[in-house]
Amino acid sequence: MRRVAVVGAGMTAFGEHFGLGIKDLLPMAVSEMAAHVDKGLDRADIQAAWFGELTTTDGFPSGILADTCGLLDIPVTRVENACATGNDAVRNATFAVASGAFDVVLVVGADKVRESSARATFWEWAGLTRDMAWDYPLGLVAPANFALHVARYLHESPATREHLAMVAVKNHRHALPNPKAQLRYEITVEQALNAPVVVEPFGLYDCTPQSDGAAALLLVAEDVADRYTDRPVWVRGVGLGLDRVMHQHKRDMTTFPPTVKAAKASYAMAGLGPADIDVAEVHDCFTGVELISYEDLGFAERFGAYKLIEDGTTAVGGSKPVNPSGGLKAKGHPPGATGVAQCVELFEQLRGEAANQIDGARTGLAHNIGGPTAVSAVTILSADRG
Amino acid sequence: MVTLAALGTYLPPWGSARGRVVGPDEDALTLGVAAARAALSAAGRTSPAGPPAAEAAAATGVRRVVFVTRELPLLVGSNAAALLAGIGLAADIAVVEQVGGAPAVLDALADASPGTLIVAADAPDSGEPAGAAAALVTAADTAGTAGGVGVELVGRVVRSLPVHSQAAGEAAVRDYSDTRLERERGLGVAVERLSLTEKPVVVAGVAPKQAATLCAGAPPALPTLGASSALFAIAALRDVGSSGVVLAAEQASATAVRLDGVPGAVRRDEPAPLAPEKATRTAGPDIAVSLSAYERAFDAKLRWEAGRCDACGTLALPPRRRCLSCGSEAGWTLAPLPRTGEVYSAVTVRVPVPGLPTPYSLAIVELDGGVDVRALVKVTGVKAGTTRIGDRGRMVLRRVAVRSGVPDYGYALFPDGSAVAAAEPTTTDTLEGVAR
Repeated sequence: MRRVAVVGAGMTAFGEHFGLGIKDLLPMAVSEMAAHVDKGLDRADIQAAWFGELTTTDGFPSGILADTCGLLDIPVTRVENACATGNDAVRNATFAVASGAFDVVLVVGADKVRESSARATFWEWAGLTRDMAWDYPLGLVAPANFALHVARYLHESPATREHLAMVAVKNHRHALPNPKAQLRYEITVEQALNAPVVVEPFGLYDCTPQSDGAAALLLVAEDVADRYTDRPVWVRGVGLGLDRVMHQHKRDMTTFPPTVKAAKASYAMAGLGPADIDVAEVHDCFTGVELISYEDLGFAERFGAYKLIEDGTTAVGGSKPVNPSGGLKAKGHPPGATGVAQCVELFEQLRGEAANQIDGARTGLAHNIGGPTAVSAVTILSADRG
Repeated sequence: MVTLAALGTYLPPWGSARGRVVGPDEDALTLGVAAARAALSAAGRTSPAGPPAAEAAAATGVRRVVFVTRELPLLVGSNAAALLAGIGLAADIAVVEQVGGAPAVLDALADASPGTLIVAADAPDSGEPAGAAAALVTAADTAGTAGGVGVELVGRVVRSLPVHSQAAGEAAVRDYSDTRLERERGLGVAVERLSLTEKPVVVAGVAPKQAATLCAGAPPALPTLGASSALFAIAALRDVGSSGVVLAAEQASATAVRLDGVPGAVRRDEPAPLAPEKATRTAGPDIAVSLSAYERAFDAKLRWEAGRCDACGTLALPPRRRCLSCGSEAGWTLAPLPRTGEVYSAVTVRVPVPGLPTPYSLAIVELDGGVDVRALVKVTGVKAGTTRIGDRGRMVLRRVAVRSGVPDYGYALFPDGSAVAAAEPTTTDTLEGVAR
């Protein structure tokens, strides 16, 4: 397989873009990416595109991407893999370039969550993820799906609700310098603990906001990378993992086996391990998910995640900074865009251009979990070609 | 003369000593199912905690179910299949869905053929008390019905004085508001025309004060006023300790029966009452239903059965084509699941969810018996947020949601605790030999 480089990255701000439709957000993200390609991008160079979108808004996704971004003469494939959609789109595009089929491809992720009434959204999303006869009528709101895991995790591990709050405080603080982040304000542990309860054990500040947004990457073959930049970022590893879809069939809910599988595949492809990761964007749709993921990604020993948040290891300035962008928690979470935007953040971090820069970061990891909790995608990017 | 073999009663866990109210996940059908299961367990025909083994289900000897209520969940679209599935009866049993009150239940009892299960349920939204009771009628010489008592009709008066009325299509009961008229020209004339030769021991369907004026001694207070009150009245003969006449009245009509003994087999599923929870109700779009998915899931979901892999015996809930364990796709057969278990994980949804009363708790329950099956269910019968990992409870039929007008029944976890302890029959409530 050929080496694959990321040579361009861009994204819209994440937020409630009531005034912008999917047909606005897509060209905005692609144009921003194109504008930031060091040596410029002739859009005619793009040979194929992969578009990660979880829901469909205003029509069928591939057609909308081609139509709104001036890409009518190339093949466009929509990728949908629950909340792992973004990094799975990166994975598919990577293989397309690595295989030799294409030299220059586009990856776009987007979702328009705030497009139906807040009342309708819940049941629409539940219908995407749950068994129609057995689970759907129970009222498993998104936080409840993850709370079932985190409640058990808090029961078995030394972690407490305070540790969940510390994750929220950290990620809110990280979002402050990020102009693309949706929630750019600091909170305190006390505020997080005293906030209205959404689904126990999650309070309001344990939950990601609902977001709209889009993100784009340009992936190219090693042979042509220098046409676009002298400072490419390399796609070193991609991985995807799955699990049983119904919670009642997941034997140990204190871990996410899809993450373990996706990370294993990605580390193996990269020839790297958890110790090599300088910065990570981890799927923190709910605070407790970030903690469990420290363990599944190999950053912490089993039930030892609380130590990393307690001692500042995963804060910017610590030895294993996680979510310098603010994470899903504070940057926002338009599902299809999330994984792609994580890679946008890593691209900037590994080139030393990030808003909340980690000094000397060479290798980064991006992680999604969704489905809920039945699929994960992990991407490893590095400034080192390997 | 018919033989009443066993009685079962059920009261929803919400309300006060003055009367029970249905929870948001209960209706006349789930109330009736709980009472019917109590009756069959009093008759020794099913085990309340364990699964009704196939043989036990056949051994109920039930050939006909008469469901009497004024709150039929569906007027179009049958309630019968859900009733049979919830009780654990075979799907080839005739079900009569009857709109009626207390006299209708005594009428059904007095005329019942052996093998009839009469289920009476009250789930009014008018503020009147809720509850359900069921009676199993057998042939006089049926083995194992030593506790059976004879019931015969004493008299019946059918008249009209609709001081409370609800025409078809009307949303609420209208009240003419003349209690003296109701007492004197309604119940008064009805009782007069019955020309009873002995005073009743218990009166169903009327307020306690009125009942007291008609009875020989102090009649026991009954928890309901509608259809189920007739069977609660018969069950109450145990408390009075005497047989005799039971009178059931409704407005201007009345039926009287005489029992030749005190019912022996009575099981009461009557948890101690809790104050109803304040629920937030948020309007929203109809909760969608797929009737294809509904039909495929129906038997397993309402009978509390798993798919047992034909190749290796592994149980799967819900049933599935490819075995969770051995991967066989050869097929599966429905098999009963244990009805008790322990909480593996639990959460409480407090954010308002459109179409569902909040807050509510959800639990993943590890079922007993080493079956290696977990269920994801709602928690019922206790205040939201009080269920913890490791808590134990039993699985009960509830209306999980109303989806585009269709009641969607399934099982919920009723946690053990002080409230449920009261639901277990006391020794005096239990006939010797009743399956526990």
